[in-house]
Amino acid sequence: MKLRLLLASGAIALGLSSSGLRSAETVKVGVLHSLSGTMAISETSLRDILLFTFDEINARGGVLGRKIEPVVVDGASNWPLFAEKAKQLLEQDKVAVTFGCWTSVSRKSVLPVYERNNGLLFYPVQYEGEEESQNVAYTAEAVNQQATPAVDYYLKEGKKKFYLLGSDYVYPQTTNLVLLEYLLSKGVPLANIGGGFRRDGSGKIISAGKYTPFGHIDYQQIVAEIKQFAASGDACVISTLNGDTNVPFFKEYAASGLTSETCPVVSFSISEDEFRGLPADKLVGQLGCWTYFQSLNTPANKKFVADFQTWLKKSNVPGLVKEGRVTCSPMVLSYVGVYIWKAAVEKAGSFEVDKVRAAWKSGLTFDGPGGKVTTQKNMHLTKNVYIGETRADGQFKIVSSFDNVYGEPWLKGKFK
Amino acid sequence: MKALLLLPCLLAFFANATVWAAESASPRALVARAAAESERAQTRQLLSAAVGRADETVAPLLDAWRRDTLFLHSRADGGRIAVLLSGEKDDRGAQSALRADDGQPLQDEAGRPMRLVAADLPTAEHDASLRRTMKAILDLAELAAADPGRRTRSVRNLGLAQDVEKLPVLLARETVESAPEVRRALREAIALLRLKDPREEIRITALQELQAVSSLATADVLARVIQEESAAGNRRALEAARKAQQAVEWHRTKVDFAGTLFRGLSLGSILLVAALGLAITFGLMRVINMAHGELIAVGAYTTYLTQAFFGSGMTLPCFGLSLPVPGLQLAGSSREAYFIAALPASFLAAATAGLVLERGIIRFLYRRPLESLLATWGVSLVLQQALRLIFGPNNVQVSSPSYLSGNWLVGDVILGWNRVFVIGFALLIVLGMGLVLTRSSLGLLIRASMQNRTMAACLGVRTERVNALTFALGSGLAGLAGAFLSQIGNVGPSLGQGYIIDSFMVVVVGGVGSLGGTILSAFGIGGIDQVLQQYLPLVAPGLAWVPGIGGFLQNLAQDAAVFGKILVLAGIILFLQWRPAGLFSPRSRTLDE
Repeated sequence: MKLRLLLASGAIALGLSSSGLRSAETVKVGVLHSLSGTMAISETSLRDILLFTFDEINARGGVLGRKIEPVVVDGASNWPLFAEKAKQLLEQDKVAVTFGCWTSVSRKSVLPVYERNNGLLFYPVQYEGEEESQNVAYTAEAVNQQATPAVDYYLKEGKKKFYLLGSDYVYPQTTNLVLLEYLLSKGVPLANIGGGFRRDGSGKIISAGKYTPFGHIDYQQIVAEIKQFAASGDACVISTLNGDTNVPFFKEYAASGLTSETCPVVSFSISEDEFRGLPADKLVGQLGCWTYFQSLNTPANKKFVADFQTWLKKSNVPGLVKEGRVTCSPMVLSYVGVYIWKAAVEKAGSFEVDKVRAAWKSGLTFDGPGGKVTTQKNMHLTKNVYIGETRADGQFKIVSSFDNVYGEPWLKGKFK
Repeated sequence: MKALLLLPCLLAFFANATVWAAESASPRALVARAAAESERAQTRQLLSAAVGRADETVAPLLDAWRRDTLFLHSRADGGRIAVLLSGEKDDRGAQSALRADDGQPLQDEAGRPMRLVAADLPTAEHDASLRRTMKAILDLAELAAADPGRRTRSVRNLGLAQDVEKLPVLLARETVESAPEVRRALREAIALLRLKDPREEIRITALQELQAVSSLATADVLARVIQEESAAGNRRALEAARKAQQAVEWHRTKVDFAGTLFRGLSLGSILLVAALGLAITFGLMRVINMAHGELIAVGAYTTYLTQAFFGSGMTLPCFGLSLPVPGLQLAGSSREAYFIAALPASFLAAATAGLVLERGIIRFLYRRPLESLLATWGVSLVLQQALRLIFGPNNVQVSSPSYLSGNWLVGDVILGWNRVFVIGFALLIVLGMGLVLTRSSLGLLIRASMQNRTMAACLGVRTERVNALTFALGSGLAGLAGAFLSQIGNVGPSLGQGYIIDSFMVVVVGGVGSLGGTILSAFGIGGIDQVLQQYLPLVAPGLAWVPGIGGFLQNLAQDAAVFGKILVLAGIILFLQWRPAGLFSPRSRTLDE
């Protein structure tokens, strides 16, 4: 009861502020990403694409006749700071909506703030599921929009053995557990799933796969193990390794004579943007799985890529990197998120979070660079999933696609 | 006689190909048609028809297809034709076009040879299943390859595919094959295919053969055979399969053991290479050099610059100025030679940086070790930020030259060339260092100054100069380490941070001031780490008895990469409790020690 009261008063406060305090021509929108620290390399790209999208919308008259006024704050790769910055955005700047967060831990950190203030956060990066907040719009890929389609692809390719490898944190751990259930449900025996298992007292598997810490360098033993695992020629690796540990892994992988033909690797954390820091020649032929690739050959995507490049050239945002820029799935999902929010606001005729949420739940569609997306009642998106092969130039060649995949966050225990 | 018997089998094998032979004369034309086909199913069918018929003209064509350099030209009549582009590009980027099916120049309606621009043309599509078919084509063509290594690979692939139709081809090959490793692979492949034989006797002979060969690749097949034979109740076949499996497992044990030894040696060498510079700056000179890691990074970035210099050059945004790095525009193997040049270059770059550091800061701090710690830590931060400003916050790409990215497979143990190189490299610089320190006059001066600066100065040694040179030497060694580490890991501004702890650990455990101790401790730590990584998961099930935390330990032991490291660190702490001065502590008559 108390909670509801609190929520209601928050909503009223927000409603008041939206009608009274804000200037008539603009609507404040929060951008909450790490612009410094370890995550800055990835998250700065999302700030850039958001600013580009706001400019694009403003040039066409804004939202409900009001120009978007971005409030950019720096989470500095510091999870408690994310919560403070979120609080500042909601209580001080009174933003109508926030686009932000990359890591799951930053999302978990700001979640209570958004729920308390009844704010709305658009979250654009692939994540582990098992969460469904009314205050978060998950434009991100759920596990069944990335990991399970990749397994389907491998099964179709005749692969029988699966080696699970990841960085040691919540996203790989949860994803691999879901994958384990999925593989077992597809008739893959436990003996054909590599990487090891950890069990609780009753013998139930609580963690599957091989994990290495961030910054791990020595992959000799793991690669030797994969080489033995793959000796029979029908194995593949499912990698949730994050960040720059991919470099020593793939260098070791190539040096041991393993290739995409003898044992392909699908990596869920390598998109075009991450590719800029990886040895392209070592990765050729390995797979990626996302809901967007820059190489998508559609007029909408070509226009999007060209518009972004033009914007980069003439923009004067301080610290903007202008050379060698690419577009990738998290960027496009940020872009799509802004347009969906705009559509929801226009349908609701209001910036109020409750009305915008109701509009989202009514099922909006938007034709984005990655194809059509549709909003769902569970705050996720239905979208197309693509599987791509890496090329030497850092782009992906699309080899398979799945249309209109429903975003399902609750997957544990679903595959029997 | 045997050859006569084989003939019908071979004919049968080629039978489905002959269906197509009527339509297209050469396998090359078949592949070209497959590439130009827009229906994926048709492509697949056409390509499958070329399996087993490949000649030497097909391999380059398939290679071009896989590399996306086989282009499709749309003709006026709407049909598509696969073309290869070759020769010099003219001013609009066009090259002369060759028909893929016969290698002749492509002609337009008027019969003139055509020139096409690669960027305008779509490339022939391919997916994994097509590539597998291509691989099958190449495998069969590869059976006749001149290089025994390639023949071995192709035989292996054919055996593991367990396609009984290929048996005659392999048997035919066996009669003419002479290279021992290919013969071994042939025995394995033929035995694998014979496991599909309905007669138990033949299967048992095949299993005995597999037991003799004991190849790791057959482990999964054997596990399956054991299941099948026990379900069918064939006791003798089951027995033979079990024996074969035991032989394979025994072989695996040996491979794991030898592999672990090699990996320990290579990790030890890496630790040694990274720590050797520190063994001089910290071990001999007693400067707690926190900037050691950044000197490694300087070496790694020098390698990156050398690579750019041998390639197409680059422009560095250096504090607001654009600093052009010219490129030699080399290609092929002369470009790959960059790494050889990078070794002295990174030594010199890091040595220069070390010299500047010594002259600028450290020489004032020889009597104040704790302040040298703070000062060099500050320097490390400045260097990191400088690298970030010049090269950007992202990692840069240092490609591995082909002579460092292959491997030897000795009885299924992978010996990566980069790893073999680092072991040899470590031995060489240790030997070099040892010679310099003990056999040269500079070494004599270094040792004298480091033991007692004042005394050496009294005897006429220019200790200032010796200090500077020694520090530069230690820094240069750090630079060499950087050049090598760029081959196995990331090159980024914070590269040094990953190695500084390990380096100090090696030097301290070895005994500060003792080069021999550094060597021993590097190999010791590397070896123990690899042994733990390999064998912890094996002992994991045995940990269940530990009261209370048995399950926890079991799970922890599964994460051997992390747990191994924790155990090594804990071991080092205990070791230093027992011997605070490390493995070897140099004897000294100085009163204050």
